Amino acid sequence: FFAEKHSQLDTSNGCATNFASLQDSGDQLTEEHVTKGESTLSITVVGASGDLAKKKIFPALFALFYEGCLPQDFSVFGYARTKLTHEELRDMISSTLTCRIDQREKCGDKMEQFLKRCFYHSGQYNSEEDFAELNKKLKEKEAGKISNRLYYLSIPPNIFVDVVRCASLRASSENGWTRVIVEKPFGRDSESSGELTRCLKQYLTEEQIFRIDHYLGKELVENLSVLRFSNLVFEPLWSRNYIRNVQLIFSEDFGTEGRGGYFDQYGIIRDIMQNHLLQILALFAMETPVSLDAEDIRSEKVKVLRSMKPLRLEDVVVGQYKGHNKGGKTYPGYTDDPTVPNHSLTPTFAAAAMFINNARWDGVPFLMKAGKALHTRGAEIRVQFRHVPGNLYKKSFATNLDNATNELVIRVQPDEGIYLRINNKVPGLGMRLDRSDLNLLYRSRYPREIPDAYERLLLDAIEGERRLFIRSDELDAAWDLFTPALKELEEKKIIPELYPYGSRGPVGAHYLASKYNVRWGDLGEA
Amino acid sequence: LNGGGSNLCRRFCGLKLWILKSLNRRQGNNRKHQPVNELTTHSKHTFLSDDERGFAEETRAEDLRPEENILGTDLNDGFHNVGDLPPVSKQLSDDLSDVRRRASLCIAVVGATGELARGKIFPALFALYYSGYLPEDVAIFGVSRKNLTDEDLRSIIASTLTCRVDHQENCGGKMDAFQSRTYYINGGYNNRDGMSRLAERMKQIEGESEANRIFYLSVPQEALVDVACTIGDNAQAPRGWTRIIVEKPFGFNSHSSHQLTKSLLSKFEEKQIYRIDHMLGRNLIENLTVLRFSNLVFEPLWNRTYIRNIQVIISESIAQTEKFSDGYGIIRDIVHSHILQTIALLAMEPPISLDGEDIRNEKVKVLRSIRKIDPRDVILGQYKSSSRDKNGVILNGVDPTYCAAALYIDNARWDGVPFLVRVGTGLIKHRVEIHVQFRHVPGNLYRENIGINIDLGTNELILRDEPDEAILVKINNKVPGLGLQLDASELNLLYKDRYKTEVPDSYEHLIHDVIDGDNHLFMRSDEVAAAWNILSPVLEEIDKHHTAPELYEFGGRGPVAAYYLWAKHGVPWADD
Repeated sequence: FFAEKHSQLDTSNGCATNFASLQDSGDQLTEEHVTKGESTLSITVVGASGDLAKKKIFPALFALFYEGCLPQDFSVFGYARTKLTHEELRDMISSTLTCRIDQREKCGDKMEQFLKRCFYHSGQYNSEEDFAELNKKLKEKEAGKISNRLYYLSIPPNIFVDVVRCASLRASSENGWTRVIVEKPFGRDSESSGELTRCLKQYLTEEQIFRIDHYLGKELVENLSVLRFSNLVFEPLWSRNYIRNVQLIFSEDFGTEGRGGYFDQYGIIRDIMQNHLLQILALFAMETPVSLDAEDIRSEKVKVLRSMKPLRLEDVVVGQYKGHNKGGKTYPGYTDDPTVPNHSLTPTFAAAAMFINNARWDGVPFLMKAGKALHTRGAEIRVQFRHVPGNLYKKSFATNLDNATNELVIRVQPDEGIYLRINNKVPGLGMRLDRSDLNLLYRSRYPREIPDAYERLLLDAIEGERRLFIRSDELDAAWDLFTPALKELEEKKIIPELYPYGSRGPVGAHYLASKYNVRWGDLGEA
Repeated sequence: LNGGGSNLCRRFCGLKLWILKSLNRRQGNNRKHQPVNELTTHSKHTFLSDDERGFAEETRAEDLRPEENILGTDLNDGFHNVGDLPPVSKQLSDDLSDVRRRASLCIAVVGATGELARGKIFPALFALYYSGYLPEDVAIFGVSRKNLTDEDLRSIIASTLTCRVDHQENCGGKMDAFQSRTYYINGGYNNRDGMSRLAERMKQIEGESEANRIFYLSVPQEALVDVACTIGDNAQAPRGWTRIIVEKPFGFNSHSSHQLTKSLLSKFEEKQIYRIDHMLGRNLIENLTVLRFSNLVFEPLWNRTYIRNIQVIISESIAQTEKFSDGYGIIRDIVHSHILQTIALLAMEPPISLDGEDIRNEKVKVLRSIRKIDPRDVILGQYKSSSRDKNGVILNGVDPTYCAAALYIDNARWDGVPFLVRVGTGLIKHRVEIHVQFRHVPGNLYRENIGINIDLGTNELILRDEPDEAILVKINNKVPGLGLQLDASELNLLYKDRYKTEVPDSYEHLIHDVIDGDNHLFMRSDEVAAAWNILSPVLEEIDKHHTAPELYEFGGRGPVAAYYLWAKHGVPWADD
C-alpha cells in the first residue's frame, strides 16, 4: 500500500497525468491528434517589460519548466514596446527566477536551459506589421511542426482589443491552437464588459479566450469542489436547512501606497468583489455538475449567478481608509496617496449581502467583505450553521445560542487550511461545554511548497483546462449583479464611510450584518 | 392542564409546610414515590467552579422566589390540606436536602481491604474530597471481615492516595484531613451484626442532623445479595437518602440477573441502586451525547441514510491486561454492560431532557430494539498462555479473552446498519475507539481520482479515548500541487493539545455522579434485563456446546476469524 502511495506522489510531481488529461480533454478536434513529439508551444508574454510579467509570469513559466510540465519543444517570447535584446530580457527575468525549496537540485542548469529558450521582440501593441514580424520569429522556432500558441496579455485593458486584433490576424497558429489569456478587470460594468467581449469575439472564439483571476488559482478554491463533492459528511449539510449564512472575506493590511492610479478608476468592488469573491460564491453554491469537465462546471456556476438578485444599494456598505497615528507611526489615508485624486470617493472597503433565489439557498444571506488597509491580511470562507433544534445543552451555554453553533472555515490565506468548529465536553467532572476546532492545517500535513497561482493557471491554459477561467456568460451574469449598484453609487456620489488605517473597517459593515442577524466570524477571534 | 398544575402547586405548598413541621420528628423508611417536577429541577445542580457557583446560587435564589409567593398566597389552603397529604417519600427528602446542601454524608466502602477499594475507590474519594466535591464533614467507612483498627485502615489506603499534578497545594494537609475522617468497621461473618455496628457508628458521627448515606459494595457476586439486604434492613439513612453502588457484572445470565434485581428491589427502590461500570466514566462516553445533541453538523448524518457501519473497539495490550471476573469471561464482563451501553448512547433518540431517567428511557428503547445476537455473528478468542507470560493469569478452560460480534438495531433509524464490536485483551495495541464510517458519495465526481478501492475515500468520524484522546473527521481533500489528486486527511481535535489538565479517573467521575444523584450512566433494571436478552442466545450456545474459543498469540492481533466476520458484513477493518 505504501509503495502504491509513493508511486502516486511521484506521478503528481512529474505531472504526467496532466498530459494524459490533455489528450482526453477533446476540447478541440486538433488536440486529439497532438502528440508530444510533433507539436511545439510558443508562449508570448505581451507587456513583457512590465512588473507583473517580471515578478509573476516568467517565474511561473520557469516553475512549470522545472516541474517538467512544459512540452519538449517550447519557446517563450517577450513582446513590448521597449527595445531590448534577447540577452537583456534574459538578464531582466533571471533575477526573479527561483527554485522551490523542496527541489533545489540542478537549479542553475535548469535556469540556464530555460533562459536560452527566452526571446524578445519589440513592437507596438497596435501594429499589425510588428506582429507579422513576431510571427516570422515564431515560425523559425516552430520549424514546421504543429504549432500551438499562447498569448498572455499583461497590459492595460484599454489596449486588449488592439493586441488581440493584431495577434489574431497576423500571428495565429495555422495548424494548431491559438489561445489568449487576459487579466481582470474585464470592463467596468455590464456595458463596457459586453463591449469588450464583442470586440474580442470579432477575432477570437470563446474557446480561445481565457479570462484570468489569479486568486481563483489558489489551491483551496479547487479544493472547495473536492470538499463538497467527494465527502458524504458535507453533502446533507449543504443547504438552507442547515446553513444559516455564508461569509466570504478578503482582507489586506496595506493600502495602495503609490499604485492608486489604476485602483482609483475601479474601486474595491470591481477589483475584488465582483470577480474573485463572486466566483468563489458560485463554486461554493453550485449544484453538482454532470462531470468535472470545465464546461459542465462553468454551466453550474452560471446557473447560480443567474439565480441571484442584483445587488441593491441598501445592501452595500462602502468605506475608505483615512490616516491614522498609532504607536508612534503614521499611516497615510487613501487620498494622501499622490497617485489618487484629492477628493476621490472610490471605496477601499465594501461589504455586501447577496441572495441566491433557488430552492437550495433561498433566504440564506451570502455576505461578502473586502477591504484594504485593515487590521489583518487573509482570505476565507465561513459557513455558519443553524442552531440545534431543541438543543438539550442550552443550559450549558451562555445566553447567546449563536455562540454555540457549528462553523466550517475554509482559510485561503495565510496558512491555508480547513477547520470545523464543534461543541465538546470539557474533560473533567461536571458538564461544561467548550467550542473546539477539528482542523487540517495544510502547512503541517503538506510541508511541500504550494505552487504559485499563476503557475497553476498557465498550466491549465496550456492544457486547455478551463475550469478556473471565466466564460463570457459568467462574466455577463456577474456584471448584471453589480452594475446597478455601482452606477447608483457613482451617480449619487455616495460618500464612503471613513475608517482608520489598520482598523477592522467601517462600523457600517456590522449594521449590514446585523440586518440579517449575522455576526462577522473573522472579527470575533482577532 | 392548568387545573392540574394548580392542584400540583397547592399540594406542593402544603407538602412543604408538612415537611417543615415534621423536621423534628423521626420517620421510618417510606418507599412511596411522589414525583414533583420542581424538586427534580432543583436537584439537578452540578458542582460548579468558584466563579460559576455564585451565579448558580443567584439563579437558585430567583427560582425560590415564586415558591415563596405561592406559599404566601395559598397559606390557608395549605393548612387546610396538610392533613390530607400522604407522608413524604424518601425521594422528596432526598431532593430537598440537596437543595439546602446542609446534610452530611457518610460513605461506606464494603470490601474495603480488596484491591479495587484500595487501588481505585479510596483514591477516587480522596480526589473528590481534595477538589471540594465532598462536604467537609464527610465520614468515610471501610468495612471488611478482617480485624483492623481505624489506624490500620488509614495505613492501608495511605499508600495509594495521590494529588493530581495540577493541584499540588496543601496536599499533605488534605491527606491528613481525609484520613482522619476515615474509619474502620469489622463486618464479621454475620452481616447483620456487622451492618448494625456500621449503622451505629454512622449515627454517632451524624448526630441528630440530617445525613445521606452511600454504600459502595465492592464484594464478590455471591456475597452481594446478603450484604445488600442486610444494609437495606439495618443501615439505611433515618433522615436522608440512601444509595448503593454495585459493580458489574450484574448477574451471570438473564435468570440470575433477574433474581439479583428482585432481591435488591425488595429492600431498595430503583432510584437508590447505582449499577456501576467504571468504563462508562470515561470522558469519551460523556462526549457522545454532547457531540450528538449539541452539534448541528452531526444531526442530519446520524442515521442509516449516511452511516454505513459503526465499530466499537476496546483493545487492551499486554501492558494493560485487566483481570476479568473469575468464570464470567469477556462477554458477561464487558459486552453486557460497557459495550451495550456505549451503543445505546450512540444510537438513542434525543431524550426529552438531560435528566437521568429521560436518558435511561431512551437507552432502554435502543436496547429493546437490538436484535438477539446470532451465535454465528460472534467470534470468541482466548490468548495462549506461555511460560513467558508475566501476568501469571490462569484462565478457566473456555473463558474468552476476546469477543467480536455484529449487532443490529431493528428500528427506523438504524435498520441494516451493522454495529461491530471488538473487545479483547492481551493484544498488540492499546486502543479505545469508536469509528463511524459513512457511506459512499452517490455519483461521486471524483471516483476516478479516488482510485480502485473506493472505501478509502469514504468519510469517517473517530472518537478516540486511548491512546491520546481525540476527535477526528476523515475527509477528502486535494493534495496541493499542480495535478488533481485526492488525499484522505483528518480534521482533528487532539485533547492533549487543547486541554492541559489531568483528566479525573473514571471512578472519581462516577462516584461524583452518585453523590450528585445523576444516574444516566448507571444501568436501570430494565436496561440490565434488555441487555441480557440480547446476549442470551450466544451465552446459551456457549454453555450448551462448551464452545471453544479460538486461540491467539498473547500480544498478537486477536483471532483471525474476526476478519471474516467483518468481511461477512461488508465492513472494512478499522485499523491504522
